[in-house]
Amino acid sequence: MKRKTNLQRYLVAALLLAGALIFYAPNRIGKAQDAGLGTIFGRVLDEQGVAVEGAEVSLLADRKIAVLHTTTQSDGSFALHLSAPNDPTEFDEAIYLHIERPHFSPAEIALESADLQQLNAGAAVEIPDITLARKISLAFWLATVIFISMLLLIATDKLHNTLAALVGASLVLIISYLGHPISENLYIFDFTDSLKYIDWNVIFLIMGMMIVVAVVENTGIFQWLAFFAYRASRGNVYILLAILMLIAGVASAFLDNVTTMLLMTPITIQIAISMGINPLAFLLPEVMASNVVGISTLIGTPTNILIGSYADISFSEFLTNLTPGVLMAFIGLIIYSLLIYKKELVAASEASPMLLEHLAERGRITQPEHLKKAGWVGLGMLLLFIFGEKIHLLPAVTALVGATTLMVWIKPDIEEMIEAVDWTTLVFFMALFMVVGAIQEVGLISYIAVFIGQLVGENLVLAMIAVTWLSAILSMVIANIPFTAAMLPVVGFLTTTVPGAESKVLFFCLSVGSAMGGNGSLIGASANMIASGIAERAGYSISYMYFLKKGLPALLITVGLAMLWLLIKF
Amino acid sequence: MPGIVCAIRGGPASQPTIQKAIQLAEKTHQTVYFLYVVNLDFLTLTSTSRVHVVEKELHQMGEFILLTAQTQAAKNSVTAEPVVRKGQVRDEIIGLCHEVGAEYVILGQPRGQNEVDTFTHEHMEQFRQEIEQESGAKVVLAEEAQ
Repeated sequence: MKRKTNLQRYLVAALLLAGALIFYAPNRIGKAQDAGLGTIFGRVLDEQGVAVEGAEVSLLADRKIAVLHTTTQSDGSFALHLSAPNDPTEFDEAIYLHIERPHFSPAEIALESADLQQLNAGAAVEIPDITLARKISLAFWLATVIFISMLLLIATDKLHNTLAALVGASLVLIISYLGHPISENLYIFDFTDSLKYIDWNVIFLIMGMMIVVAVVENTGIFQWLAFFAYRASRGNVYILLAILMLIAGVASAFLDNVTTMLLMTPITIQIAISMGINPLAFLLPEVMASNVVGISTLIGTPTNILIGSYADISFSEFLTNLTPGVLMAFIGLIIYSLLIYKKELVAASEASPMLLEHLAERGRITQPEHLKKAGWVGLGMLLLFIFGEKIHLLPAVTALVGATTLMVWIKPDIEEMIEAVDWTTLVFFMALFMVVGAIQEVGLISYIAVFIGQLVGENLVLAMIAVTWLSAILSMVIANIPFTAAMLPVVGFLTTTVPGAESKVLFFCLSVGSAMGGNGSLIGASANMIASGIAERAGYSISYMYFLKKGLPALLITVGLAMLWLLIKF
Repeated sequence: MPGIVCAIRGGPASQPTIQKAIQLAEKTHQTVYFLYVVNLDFLTLTSTSRVHVVEKELHQMGEFILLTAQTQAAKNSVTAEPVVRKGQVRDEIIGLCHEVGAEYVILGQPRGQNEVDTFTHEHMEQFRQEIEQESGAKVVLAEEAQ
């Protein structure tokens, strides 16, 4: 019995000892590692002072043996913790930091003897910011050609937008994977890196809003509003035109332009025919108003969604900084529209009672319950968009929560709702982000940024004019979404280099230029093409030249007025 | 009673076609079948998942356009029926001719070389022959009346 008790005691003592060793041992090892050794830390930046992520930082002895190795973080920082087995201070020869990253020339920094003494004393040594110089390789040219080809394919309608972007993304990746084993110069980036360029805030915000729009569009609200405009105008075509433009504009600020014009165009054509007016006299001003007023809010245009997410510009910032300028541009647009379509508007005749009866039948709310619920959810979303920033609530979360709430509340056919999400657009955005990421990775964006930076110098007004008008003119001929996506890092660079631009004014200039620039040509905005396509189906063609003739002066007036506001405000 | 099929898309360009159909109906005392074809080809220019919504809207717009043509026919005491279909104009005209046993088909003027669903000069004669062969209806070109 006694022997058994002793045995138990020994066992318990052995277990306690083992436990103590388990807990004690790592601490001892940790202390041994820390003893007498320090840390080397610093930051790696590019020539524009932008943090370089993913750079390989190695500590070399004799310039050959890598004794320590790490990778830079998203802010460009790195830290090398020296440990006993690899104590570099034991080497006789000089110690170097070697930094390398694809698309940059490698750099080497020699550690001074004072640094080594500090490290020996267990202190931390901070290395001054290390600048990596860009390197133009074959990958640079390949990524550039792919990006330009994608823009051309989209501009010339040779391929669907989404397919063009997917081809671009696939080419960039396949070149990287198949080319890299042949030559380092063929490497652009790998799949994991390409995914980092996708802005999921943008994707989910657009997706959430698409679901909300899908519910709203079936309620008949657009048709009701258009017919309401007719009744409110009491047959006065000038007032009717202004109200139709206002409805298209305000609707575009909260929903997307394409949906607005998709639903407004057919009923507008019918109202115009009923009154004996050429429908183009209403349609063009409407679509131009949609492009102009849409930029008042974060969710009004895809370009604003891109800008807001990249530059961290909130819903209320868009509203307060752009709305006065948009109002000025809108008033200018109304006056311009009344003048250019004066002849057509004068020709209006008494509306046919039979046709009006038919229109009245169409201009009614078809799903009042859904509209009521969508109204409440929309109001809630609006409040969250405005006040959510105080609790760092991302707009994408608001859109997702709003869409989900609406679906739970009205219990629609879920299949229908999922079908209503424009997946081709979402895939377009994802592939586009990857292609734009590729040109960012190889440094094209940096070169453009430096070039524009040198042109504008430190002159804020010049920078504002350059960004606004460059965006407006280029948006006439190339799709404004890929253009804006590519311009974001450029404008981001200018924001850090041009004094006074830290107010993000250049991002507002980009917003004005890229969206209002769409008014300059038929292909400048998707909403233009939708309105034109539907008008063509009613026997009223809108040719490229016709749109250019009416749209280009509108672009000059609206961009000019919005620009004037930005100059006053900032 | 045989009828007259008249495909229109609205706008000033359709007026000669409508007038020709009405004149012929007055002369032959036949019903005019005004046809509007919903065609969504233009949606390939932009991405949208709203195909069903656009289709519905264009269907209603087609009804309205046909109502305007019907109103003109009624002023001349001509009976007219509106028909809205979805698809390609060419196929739908042939289909409607079979359905109503059309004796005449009124075709509009050629509108251009790039129109897929309208009649270019090259295709007009071929199409005219196709209609006459397949349905036995006589094709009358609106431009001939001008």
